[in-house]
Amino acid sequence: MNRREFLASVSVVTLAAGLGLAGGNSARASESEAVFALGNAEIGAPHHDPIRATLLSTVATLIYDRMIEQDADQSYHPHLAESWENSADGMNWTFKLRQGVRFHDGEPFNAATIAWWIPKFKGSVNEYLVDAVDRVEVVDDYTVRFVMKRAEPNLIYNLASSFMGIPSPKAYDAAGDNFGVTEAAGTGPYKFESFAVGQETVLVANEDYNWGSDLSENKGAPYIKRLTLREIPDASTAFLELKTGGVGLLLGVPDQFLPQLQAEETLGFRSLPGFGITYLAFNTLAEPFGDVAVRQATALAVDQSAILKSVFNGVGLEAHQFLISTLAESKIDPKLEIRHDLAKANQLLDAAGWVRDGDGMRSKDSKPLKVKLTAQSETAFKRTAEILQAQLKTIGMDVEIEIFDSTTIVDQLKKGQHQLAVRQYGWNNADILDWFFSTTNIPYPNSSGWQDEKSQELRDIAMQQSKTLDERVANFRKYQENLIGNFLFVPIHEPILNYAFNETLLEVPEKLRGTQLVQATTVDIKVVG
Amino acid sequence: MIGFTLRRLVLLLPVFFVVSLVVFFIIHLVPGDPIDNLLRAGSSPEQRLQIAAKYGLDRSLVEQYFTWMGRLLSGDLGTSIIQGRPVSALIARNLPFSLELGIAALLFSTLTGITAGVIAASYQGTRVDDVITGFILLGSTVPSFWLGLLLILVFAVWLGWVPVSGARGWSSLILPTIAAGLGGIALVARVTRIAMIETSRQDFVTLLHAKGLPPFIIQLRHVLRHAMVPVVTILSLRIGWVLGGAVTIEYVFARPGLGSLLIRALNQRDYPLVQGCLLMLAMAVIIGALIGDIVQAAMDPRQREVRA
Repeated sequence: MNRREFLASVSVVTLAAGLGLAGGNSARASESEAVFALGNAEIGAPHHDPIRATLLSTVATLIYDRMIEQDADQSYHPHLAESWENSADGMNWTFKLRQGVRFHDGEPFNAATIAWWIPKFKGSVNEYLVDAVDRVEVVDDYTVRFVMKRAEPNLIYNLASSFMGIPSPKAYDAAGDNFGVTEAAGTGPYKFESFAVGQETVLVANEDYNWGSDLSENKGAPYIKRLTLREIPDASTAFLELKTGGVGLLLGVPDQFLPQLQAEETLGFRSLPGFGITYLAFNTLAEPFGDVAVRQATALAVDQSAILKSVFNGVGLEAHQFLISTLAESKIDPKLEIRHDLAKANQLLDAAGWVRDGDGMRSKDSKPLKVKLTAQSETAFKRTAEILQAQLKTIGMDVEIEIFDSTTIVDQLKKGQHQLAVRQYGWNNADILDWFFSTTNIPYPNSSGWQDEKSQELRDIAMQQSKTLDERVANFRKYQENLIGNFLFVPIHEPILNYAFNETLLEVPEKLRGTQLVQATTVDIKVVG
Repeated sequence: MIGFTLRRLVLLLPVFFVVSLVVFFIIHLVPGDPIDNLLRAGSSPEQRLQIAAKYGLDRSLVEQYFTWMGRLLSGDLGTSIIQGRPVSALIARNLPFSLELGIAALLFSTLTGITAGVIAASYQGTRVDDVITGFILLGSTVPSFWLGLLLILVFAVWLGWVPVSGARGWSSLILPTIAAGLGGIALVARVTRIAMIETSRQDFVTLLHAKGLPPFIIQLRHVLRHAMVPVVTILSLRIGWVLGGAVTIEYVFARPGLGSLLIRALNQRDYPLVQGCLLMLAMAVIIGALIGDIVQAAMDPRQREVRA
């Protein structure tokens, strides 16, 4: 047992002991206050300025409203934009804006806000979100038209991103670099009170709020009047806070902690569909994975169900294609999905001339089928790598595991030093295929090294020639079918998003709305009387 | 004494230069770069180049070093690539938390460690000595991560006396102080005990006993004073630890601080922030050592001659 495993074991044992013996001394300050602990992926946001942020937490979705909301099923819903229309050629988007909306600083929200806001992205790291927009035209006080440089049906997805929460122009320009640090103003259900970086953000209810989206039951001011969002990096500490009532809700529970927590009577659980995929990445420029037969055999040797059970405690879904299952683009021809088939995997290697030696391992022209598998140091990655090692042994592939921290792995991928790598992405849009497999993204993020005319042509059609959302879905399906047919990856697992709350403190709706537990659900959460 | 102090200060200049070289180049030896943490699906390759140009990462390392040094000498530690804020502002935000915990832990470990060391030395070879030595051994081997969770379980979860985590008010400082200070107690107690025992064997102590002074007075007034020289050395070296040594404790107790800032910056390869934090910690160690030298010289004039 190494140090990390020891620490993980200690955490689980401590958690179990704590849950079994805790007295449940609530730290709630008043009947209308609550404390949430941010999920680990959200920790460390240096500010809450959506325009220049590279990392935003749930906080941003509570301070700022967006024009469009996206639900867990990836459908789009009106919010500050009451309706929208895309011209037939995709070159104009017209948005009707909601009236009667005011920013926290009292300023009105209208078409002039949008005309000020979109150009603010120029030169920021988030510029790509509005890159296709040529200009914003104010049609009237509550109507704007986006004139496009090119048709971009994905604009609607970008507008639903948390990075496109709309700040108050007056407050934004006045605060400069301090916006999102010492002050922040949007039109959201919560007003900014204070922010201590790496520690907590305190929000208070916006009592004037009456423009909630149709994803929320409660269209008015939130029930929780004062909400503190804490950053607790250690999962064990966060759970003990949840149990003792120091925290009412955890925005993110690792799969390995679920069994212990589910044994607790006072804790409730909710979940949302996943936001990413764990997969095995190939380097097609490194032998033996230049040969499609070896890639296919490797893919068919992977048993997703065994990994789901033993690594992820059965939490989440098996992944058999590259996109999250709630995306329409993920519904490819079922025959193309990558599923465990050991017999076929062995046949493929036999046919490719890889013969088994005395020890059961294969070789070809005296060259052994020996490969390196790179994985991150986190427990789930390491355990997945170990199981993959055992599964690939059954087809005679000798796998050596190498463990690094995530940034070192990215460096290796960029240099093409890997053969196989256990990777995970978090993204709910089909353009992730372009990110990882477009020729223009070699050597990184396209670390597969894949260069193929047909694939690139399908990519260009999907990314640049889709005029409507339906067209885009159809084009991305074709693009993924091409990629999956070339066995450029092995999909393994689709995690779900887990949330835990203290039932003695909070009442959380049974069905969560939104792609994550953010604004849409938070305004419906009640403090237990 | 003034001459001694000035000489030590002048010696700091070449040390600072060497430290700046190490601090700047060491992070560049680690694989990876910060731009990968700034780009997301959708970002274009041109954006990578723009970001590299914005932070000067497209220039040679030597050029980057001299730019960094130039800014440093004018008091500018640069801007965090990931957080987009001045490094000095980020350090200033986190420093008070590190100082609060570090000083509390240092005081706790020093006072408790010296007391335990004195008692163990005074009762050398007895059960009391055995018990204290046992605790010293335990304290130096228990991982602070585990100890932190254990303290939370007992005092926050079962007894409910203090908060589980956070940095709000003095009550939230108690458990982190104990968890961070325990290792220091073991160290200080061990050094104090040995120094006390060795000093007790010296002729002047025998003379004091022969003069009929009470053993209690001899131990506290005479033996302890001489035994403090190595203890001060240990404590001065721990001044650097005060700022950055409680990373695990900050993690377990969800406290902000310089240690957790550095770890986060390292994981993101945020070069200016890593360099700023490392420089701050290195300077704390150097200044700690300087203070230790000066205090030792003040306590024992022979040191001034030896170190001059």
